[in-house]
Amino acid sequence: MKFIIKILLIALCVFSLFFLQVFNPVAAVAQKGAKPAKPPATHPKLAEANYAFDVNAMGDMSDFDPATVQFPKGDTIKVAVVASFTGPAAIVGKIYWAAVAWAAYDINQRGGIMVDGKKKFVEVIQADHMGRLDQCKKVAERMALQEKVHVLVGTDGSHLMKVINQVADKYKIIAQNITSTSDDLMDATNFSRYAFMSCLSSSQVGSGLGYFYGQIRKKEKRFYIICQDYAFGRSIADSFKKGLKQYYPQAKIVGEDYHKLFLTDFAPYLEKIKAAKPDVIFTGDWIPDGANLVKQARQMGLKQPFAHLFLDDPNFLHEIGPQAATGNIQITQYGVEGGAFKTPEQIKYYKTWHDLWANRWKTEPYNSRLFEHGSGNLGSYRQQAYWLFSVIERAGSTDPEKIIAVWENDTYRLPTGKVLRMRACDHKVVQDLHVFEYVPAAQQKVSMNIEPYYWYKDAASTGPTWRIPAEKVLPWMDTKLERCAGKNEWGE
Amino acid sequence: MDVTASMYAAQAIHGIAFGMVLFLIAAGLNVIFGMMGILNLAHGAFFMLAAYFCYSVVAMTGSFWAALLIAPVLTALVGVFVERFFIRKVQIMGAMGELILTLGVAMLILGGVKFFWGTENLPISVPPVLEGMVHIGALDYPIYRIFMIVLALVVLAIMTLLLYKTRLGKIVRAAVSDREMVNALGINVPLVFMFVFGIGVWMAGIGGVVIAPILTVFPGLADQVGMYAFIVVVTGGLGSLKGAFIVSIIFGLLSSFGIQFFSQLAPVLIVGFMAFVLAIKPHGLFGVKE
Repeated sequence: MKFIIKILLIALCVFSLFFLQVFNPVAAVAQKGAKPAKPPATHPKLAEANYAFDVNAMGDMSDFDPATVQFPKGDTIKVAVVASFTGPAAIVGKIYWAAVAWAAYDINQRGGIMVDGKKKFVEVIQADHMGRLDQCKKVAERMALQEKVHVLVGTDGSHLMKVINQVADKYKIIAQNITSTSDDLMDATNFSRYAFMSCLSSSQVGSGLGYFYGQIRKKEKRFYIICQDYAFGRSIADSFKKGLKQYYPQAKIVGEDYHKLFLTDFAPYLEKIKAAKPDVIFTGDWIPDGANLVKQARQMGLKQPFAHLFLDDPNFLHEIGPQAATGNIQITQYGVEGGAFKTPEQIKYYKTWHDLWANRWKTEPYNSRLFEHGSGNLGSYRQQAYWLFSVIERAGSTDPEKIIAVWENDTYRLPTGKVLRMRACDHKVVQDLHVFEYVPAAQQKVSMNIEPYYWYKDAASTGPTWRIPAEKVLPWMDTKLERCAGKNEWGE
Repeated sequence: MDVTASMYAAQAIHGIAFGMVLFLIAAGLNVIFGMMGILNLAHGAFFMLAAYFCYSVVAMTGSFWAALLIAPVLTALVGVFVERFFIRKVQIMGAMGELILTLGVAMLILGGVKFFWGTENLPISVPPVLEGMVHIGALDYPIYRIFMIVLALVVLAIMTLLLYKTRLGKIVRAAVSDREMVNALGINVPLVFMFVFGIGVWMAGIGGVVIAPILTVFPGLADQVGMYAFIVVVTGGLGSLKGAFIVSIIFGLLSSFGIQFFSQLAPVLIVGFMAFVLAIKPHGLFGVKE
């Protein structure tokens, strides 16, 4: 009898445990108010890197000032930053300059790079395309023929990057695209084996945000798209639609508009948006259009968050105030989940830049808020420049063929810990992306986890950050490109 | 008023507000052309300069109202300087000389702006008293945009009174009509024209200040509205204030209702309207055959 009771008790315990496991009230409560499931761990293909940036190996940067930096001349590794240095977008050129000049200066402070059996310094040259196609071709050709640069780095505008890539292809020098996102730059028509796209692409923006809203956030359902009416605006909107279709089929596009570049008055568009009652407004607009769009939206009482990728200009964020930007969502290639600083090296890397900005840089625009943190897009450009120099160093040569051989399929670990992988067949970078939400200063400590525990005291900035796994945002690959035929999305 | 009706009403007011800003800029251009015969290619640059002055005055005083008073006057002073020491000297070369010179002035202003203020986007906020919305039935409309409309009407009234109800206005109109005769009467005509140029630039300055809080101030600002101002002037008729006013409103309404109903065609509608008007009336809606 006792034996039977024992068996029954054991069975009861096992059943109770099973019952609790299945109908666990704690788990149920947790699930109800649950935070979204964690994304999968870093993909094995991005777990290890051929080369990792070593913060402790950095040179003495104490004299670096982007406004006055001088580079050695003569037998050097020549890099031209081809960008707008004059015209409406001149500030953009200054940002690229600060980023590439920083990395080059660091390399020089370490003694240069051993190439072709000789230690050589890096020389960076400004090449102003003024935002114009004709000037872009002219200046890029001058850099190739007259200055005999080894690398052309660019630029603000996919149409201009296309020209730079063509020049690189013609004169057989390397072109590195650190910012233009159009996918067609590397399609079957435009691909050049001399051109490398080390930045994120439009297709990834769409799939990244689609994944975020559909698989992580699972909250907003109605989306309105407003973008600039030119190739990039159209392609970024298309990619967003595709991203929603792929990862969030329940989502509804309640309106779609394309406005001319440098629009003065957004009010009529905003009136339409107001009437459509979206949960989120997606825009691919860059500043000033993007800034004017958000500013006028808030003035007109629209409270919906914007999902975007370029509206992180701190001047703009201060102008509209913390309330207007709070809740906005940004996708970025420079992001870290949780606190931004997890190692002493990351703090050192951040502070080296920030302290120089605070104490040494006195010249406009480098002393402005725009350059304060060295993170965001600026941080990404800097890391891409470091990647280029690392590739040249490992190639041991400025011979483009040797550089290509190293860069294709290369993996490179950034100071943030993220690994970049250059897809060999179409030279597009594969990487995790991040999406973050703008929050006021008091909540920024989830991201800015060192003193003063906020990025900006009087503006909304990076708050909760989510990683979008690389395998969910693999850049679009043109299978018509012979090199990619029969390969999977990893280019294998 | 139901939601749809209020949306259309809001679109109409948006159109009028945008039209009023266009008018402020175009009217200044028109005054200068109508009275002096100078097609001022630097007009958009003066408009931009005023926005930068506005930024600096707001930064120094913290007051948008001070900027509204001071910035257009500063801009007008720059305009007067340009007229006195540059334009007057090249008038002997005719229209081509003036065109090239004013283009040069535009580039100079652009360079100066970048030198003094840099290339960053500069923020100006709506003054607190004009923040918020007006609620009329289902219609919510920003107070600042209503202020824009009212201010443009005030400027139009001031201009009309100045030109048609004051002795100074009579002299200006007389000088336009017969320069030599007015000169013979002992009136300093170059001084009158300098004043006219200053007034034209002052109007562009008002436009620059008014638009600054809804836009970001940056070196491309001149291009954003400069071209529209020229289209307004040509369509309304060179030298016609009435033409500039009516066409500005038409353009504003075409823009907002164009976006509402034919979003993709909205920019084309304005140019299409210009082409249509010029095909029928080559001198513009209210232009006078010379």
